[in-house]
Amino acid sequence: MPDKKSFRDDILDSIEEGLLTVDKSFKVNFFNRAAEQITGYKREEVLGQFCKYVFKCEMCETKCPIGIILETGNGLYDFRSSIEVKDGSRKQVKLNAAILKNGDKDPVGGVISFRDLSELEALKKDLSSTSSFYGIIGHGKEMQEIFKLIQEISDSDTTVLIQGESGTGKELIANAIQATSRRKAEAFVKVNCSVFPENLLASELFGHIKGSFTDAVKDRPGRFEIANEGTIFLDEIAEMPLQTQVQLLRILQEGTFERVGESITRKIDVRVIAATNLDVNEAIKKRKLREDLFYRLNVIPILIPPLRERVEDIPYLVKHFITDYSRLYKKETEDISNESLQLLINYTWPGNVRELENVIEYAVVRSKVTTIEIENLPLNISSSTEANKEIVKEFKRENPSELIQLLEKNKWNKTKVAEELGIGRTTLWRMLKKLEKS
Amino acid sequence: MYIAMYSEMLGNKYFLARNYQGAAQNLQFVLSKNPINKSARKKIIICYTQTGEIEKAFDNFYTLVKEDIHFIIDTDPVADDCPCPDLVAKYGKVYRYEKKSYDLKLMLGMLWLYCDVYKSWEIFDELNSNNDHDFKLKEVLSLIEQNKKSINKNTN
Repeated sequence: MPDKKSFRDDILDSIEEGLLTVDKSFKVNFFNRAAEQITGYKREEVLGQFCKYVFKCEMCETKCPIGIILETGNGLYDFRSSIEVKDGSRKQVKLNAAILKNGDKDPVGGVISFRDLSELEALKKDLSSTSSFYGIIGHGKEMQEIFKLIQEISDSDTTVLIQGESGTGKELIANAIQATSRRKAEAFVKVNCSVFPENLLASELFGHIKGSFTDAVKDRPGRFEIANEGTIFLDEIAEMPLQTQVQLLRILQEGTFERVGESITRKIDVRVIAATNLDVNEAIKKRKLREDLFYRLNVIPILIPPLRERVEDIPYLVKHFITDYSRLYKKETEDISNESLQLLINYTWPGNVRELENVIEYAVVRSKVTTIEIENLPLNISSSTEANKEIVKEFKRENPSELIQLLEKNKWNKTKVAEELGIGRTTLWRMLKKLEKS
Repeated sequence: MYIAMYSEMLGNKYFLARNYQGAAQNLQFVLSKNPINKSARKKIIICYTQTGEIEKAFDNFYTLVKEDIHFIIDTDPVADDCPCPDLVAKYGKVYRYEKKSYDLKLMLGMLWLYCDVYKSWEIFDELNSNNDHDFKLKEVLSLIEQNKKSINKNTN
């Protein structure tokens, strides 16, 4: 009679899906033949190793498939990811994962089965040239220029000031700058200056010594010290108190600072990336932002256009978010109807990409079919666009010259006209196009 | 709605991802059920040093060192995926400026024992000379010293 283990291994070796199991420490303890073929590793090279070091899966740190099951209690089916294979290249895979439990229902291991999708992915890549840059989708000229600029400055440690409305993706741009820089392997510390009360921000940034204020029960290094030799991202910089701005200016000029309550001067080497959603000229005028600090920060300015000015990206962003949220909520939604997409293109997006992402998440959650329809969209989107449609119809039907008069009154400033009409610039632009044609 | 169950495996996952807060919560739960789980104790010491709970870290460190100091000393940074070499390198930079910080020294003393018994001894020796009334420090120092000698002998 064949021994049970070898019989089981023979069965698992005969299936075409790669299969591996890990113990509770995430060390690989089984690896079948198909897994060897897909990854190029021999099982003896892999057994006993931590799976994260073998596969270098893009999600190991944040979205480990087995970790997701442990956290959510849901199994994973047809989850897309990519793994690094032995020759150093990456392969797209679709995987299923489950938890192994002992008699007490305690998790004691995990099993992952995976299929190679690399050929299919290569084909898809040829068919659609996506313009994703470190997770940022931008097909338009302005976004492409930003991506180019980020690559051009990758060899320098220059200070960068990112400006853009709320929700345009300033943090993603900062991530891309850090990830392409020489300091990518060093610490990357992020601070939102508006989150901390005025009196605590300096301590958070520069650290403090015990007894320097009531709650300072022990010495504590600040975020700048933690970021030493790396990068710090200071979001909402114009919310920083003026006194702290002076200290930041000194860091930028001399690389020195003192902890709160201490007289020892410390030296630091940190690259600063700052961001704001305010109009900096206004902020300087209103004395919220020091002019000298602005010039120090604004060595490389990056201005992210609002979503309403890059509507060409909306279909790509929509597709991207549908894929993400369908996977997250285990939905079969994979597309959006033309009418719904048109509504999204016509909308003005005051909350920019973040608002679009929320809208798609809402629509995916509500959708019970594979395609998002108008009724799946939030009411504010459909109703505002319905109102816009009425305005357009009215103008077309009754008196298009009124629109021209309105434009002349506002010296052809389309933003002002759109505001006066209570519609988005994109809608106005479409109305003008229609008028041109007629 | 599913409520994530604490488990050693989830603790290990967070530890591998260097999410020390998450790892500490899970390992705490594991230790509440099975306080003698040495593997969980070894990891939770590191987690506590990173969540700012230095006292808790030292209490666990003290009991584990007394019980089986080799369980820490024999750590293989690669095979055990130990973050300590990275952590001592990171905090070592701060340490140069931090002549007076007791907690930082204590943290480095503990972390070094996972990578280099001599460095750990040096730090505990310095801490002990400034706090000679602390019996736990004294005991830890003495245990490290004994093992330092035995390692020396074996090397010779």
